[in-house]
Order: sequence, then structure tokens, then C-alpha cells
Amino acid sequence: MQISPHTGSQLVDLCSALLLLTCFAIVAQRRLSACVDLFALQSAFLVLTAAVVAFLTGNHHIYIAAALTGVIKVVIIPRVLKKVIERLNVKRELVMNVNVPAGLLICGALVMLAFFITQPIIPLGFLLTRDSLAIALAIVLIGFFTMIARQKAVTQLVGFLVMENGLFLGATAATYGMPLIVELGVFFDVLIAALIAGIYTNRLQDAFDNVDTNHLTVLKE
Amino acid sequence: MSPIIQSLLLVTAQVIVLLTVSPFLVGLIRKVKARFQCRQGASVFQPYADIAKLFRKQPVISTTTSWIFPATPYILFASTLSAGLLVPTFISQTPLNFSGNIIALVYLLALGTFFLILAGLDAGSAFGGMGSSREAIVASLTEPAMILSIFAIALTAGSTNLSTIVHKTALLEGIATDPSPHLMALAALFIVALAETGRVPVDNPATHLELTMIHEAMVLEYSGRYLALIEWAAGLKLAVFLSLIANVFAPWGIATTLAPTAMGIGLLVYAVKIAGLAVLIGVLECMFAKLRLFRVTDLLGVAFILALLGLLFFYILRS
Repeated sequence: MQISPHTGSQLVDLCSALLLLTCFAIVAQRRLSACVDLFALQSAFLVLTAAVVAFLTGNHHIYIAAALTGVIKVVIIPRVLKKVIERLNVKRELVMNVNVPAGLLICGALVMLAFFITQPIIPLGFLLTRDSLAIALAIVLIGFFTMIARQKAVTQLVGFLVMENGLFLGATAATYGMPLIVELGVFFDVLIAALIAGIYTNRLQDAFDNVDTNHLTVLKE
Repeated sequence: MSPIIQSLLLVTAQVIVLLTVSPFLVGLIRKVKARFQCRQGASVFQPYADIAKLFRKQPVISTTTSWIFPATPYILFASTLSAGLLVPTFISQTPLNFSGNIIALVYLLALGTFFLILAGLDAGSAFGGMGSSREAIVASLTEPAMILSIFAIALTAGSTNLSTIVHKTALLEGIATDPSPHLMALAALFIVALAETGRVPVDNPATHLELTMIHEAMVLEYSGRYLALIEWAAGLKLAVFLSLIANVFAPWGIATTLAPTAMGIGLLVYAVKIAGLAVLIGVLECMFAKLRLFRVTDLLGVAFILALLGLLFFYILRS
């Protein structure tokens, strides 16, 4: 089956737009378990995007990266996080550093910023996926913002993972994916980071009966 | 056939379609909800009977009210119906497309809302005032989201005229095929439609005398034919929003010429599309709980940002 380059790039744009859509859902969501579900959904869209890029360009190593993303970020990490949440005494985040409507507006501004930064670079590219670079940068920024705006360790971790999703999309958009060995290293890092953060959250819960990371700022010897 | 007679026929046809279809949509949503709750539910044609019954009843008007109170149902009904004439239903040509575009549509609907808010305050009851204040919050938050999402659509189609937008998309002309801005605008407009028509995450249409109600609180003082007009106008508003969503985002099958067969197919496809959307709303109402009033701003904030992104995407991804 042959797809014209124009349709192909629209398809990639659409998939990455769905990724950005789930980012905003995460920013607006207060329930911890729903945040994790949305992250799994976002990773599923990432798998879809990577698969579409692999199909359109014929770079088969992207399929492997997509499959690994599917296993690690759609199945394993959300499961680990759900287990962590089951142990916690908080189900939803009531106090945030930035409230939801303001957070959404800031994220809108971040998307604009990402678009303006990548504007001079994008026309230089000749790849099918070059428009997604702006979206990838926006996702990284929103993930970073989520880590700043939230107080609970679990949602901060989700923010970190969203950032990682943005980086993966950026790598796919800019160069059709990194070499497989690098991807493997990154996946391993992310998996270990998520596991460590899960354990750390549990320790936080045991020490303070709470997973509010603000408690850590007043730690004394 | 002269153009004047033709457009008169078109207006008549559209008015009949909108008026007959709107109580059916309300009934259909109620039926879907009832089946999901394991109830038999009233017939889908119950709203017709309700409206007919209310028209036969004598209205009661409080002595403390001014002229706004009896005038509002007529203004609301007329403005909603004329907004309906700006939206393509089964044919891509809209009856009033010479006199107004998509922006007129938004503010015709806002006119009705404005008078309903005044009428809620007019009788001086605590419930009415509360409902009006809440409706004002919701209306002021949905308006920017709706305008922005509509601009995103208008930009991709290159026109603010709904007939042109739908016609172009139906024939896949020009750049009306870019999916990303459309997707964002669709999501935003769907949230706006739920909020504007008083559906579940924002308002619960099935409650009376509850502290959380919005629309029902405003119309609490109405009875008889006034209430019938208001209920019918609420159904019409739902029909207008569903037609807008169905035809702007999925105009396939709509009649683009005045040929009888095309119009027949268009009518059939239109009925299936809006019935499908009504069932979707019914299912969503069963899946989600009503949001707390102060969380409604979060949802409408999402709608606003989505619409803004739709606009941004149009500029960024145009290359």
C-alpha cells in the first residue's frame, strides 16, 4: 500500500496531536490513578506514532522501539504505579502549587513557546515527521511543568515519564529514532527510574504517612 | 422555481425538521439513560406529549415579575430557532446563509441565554437567582472556547459561513482536510455543547429542587405554555449543537444539491448522525458523575485550551 507523503505527514501530525491532547488531560486530572491511566494512554499513542513512522519510512528498528515502549510504558510502569497508589492514603490531589485552570493556561503558553522555538528549525528539515518536533518539545515542557506544579510523588513521577515520552517522540521526529542500542539503554534507565521512584514513594509514605514531597524540604540531620 | 420560493421552501423544511427532531433527541437520551440504569424508561416520544400537555395548561405568573418574565420564552425560542436556521442540517445550503455566519450563530444563542438569566432573576426567588448566577459563570466560560474552536474551523475552511465550510468539507475542497486542528476543535466544541445544553458533567437535566441544578433552577418559576416553549427551546439548542458537530466535522452524506434523491439521502444520514450523537451523550451521562460546580472551570478551561491549540496547529502544521 502506498501513502502519499502529504497524507503520511498528516497522519504523523494527527498521532502526535493525540499525544499532546493526553498531556493536557494529565494536567487537568486530579485523581492519581486516572493520571496513571492517562499516561498509559499517552504511551499507547506514542506506540501508534512510532509504528506509523516505521511503516511510512520502512525503518524496521523503530518497530522494535515501539514494541518495547508498549511493553514497558503501557503495561509494566502503569502496573507498578497502580500498586504504589494502592498502598497510599491519598486518592486525589487537592492542593497543587498551581491550580488547574492557571496550569492549563501556562501549558497553552508553553505550547506556543515550543512552537516559536522550533519555528526556525522546522523548515530546514526534510523528514516526514519534522512538524512533530514542535509537539515533542511542547510535551517535554509540559511534563517538566507537571513535575513543578504537583506536590505528590506519584504525579511528579508521571510528569517525568511524560517528559521521557516527549523525548522519544522528539528523537523519532528529528532523526527517525535513535540507534537501537541507545533506545535500549534509555528504556532500561526509565524502567529502573520508575521502579526506584516507586520504592521511594513507598518509603515516603512509611516515613511521613504522606507522599507530599514538600516534607522533604524541611529534612534535618 | 424562482430563488425566493426556493429559499422560502428551504426555511420551512428546516424549521419543520428542527422542531420535530428536537423533542425526539431529548427523549432518546432519556431512553438510553433509562436502559443503562436497567429501567424500561418512558417512550422516546414522551417529550412531544409533555410539550403538548404544557401548551394546554394555564400559566401562572408571579405578581412581582416584570415584562421580561413573560417575554423571555418567546425571545429564547425565536433566537434558538433562528440560530438553527444558520446551521446546515440535511442540506449544505442553510436557509439564512445570506444574513449571518458562524459568529451570528454564537451570539443568537447567547441572546437567549442572556434573557433566560434575566428571567431567572426576575421573579426574585432564591433558586432562580442562584441558577442565573451559575448560568452566567458557565456561559462566560464557554463563549471564548466556542468562538476559538469555531475560528479554528473557519480558518481551515477559509470562510466563516457555515454553508461554505460544510460544503467544502463535504466535497473535500481546499485545505479543509487538515485533521489535527479539526480534532482539537471537535473536542473543544463537544465539551462546550455539553455545557451549553446543560448535560451531565456540568448540569444534571434530570433533577428538580436540588442545590446543584443550573438550568432547572432558572426555569423553576415557569409553567404552562411558557414552560413548554422553554423546554422546546432547550431541545432545539441541543439539536443545533448536534447538527453543528455532525455536519462540520463529519459532513459526509449531506445533500450538496437540491436534487430530491440527494436530499432524501441527506435527511436519512442526518437523522442517523444526530441520533448517534444523542446516544453517545446518553452513554457519557451514565459513565460520568456531575462535576462539582467549582470544578466546572477546570473542564471548560480544558475546552478553551483545546480550541486555542486547534488555532495554533493551523498555523504550525500548515507547511
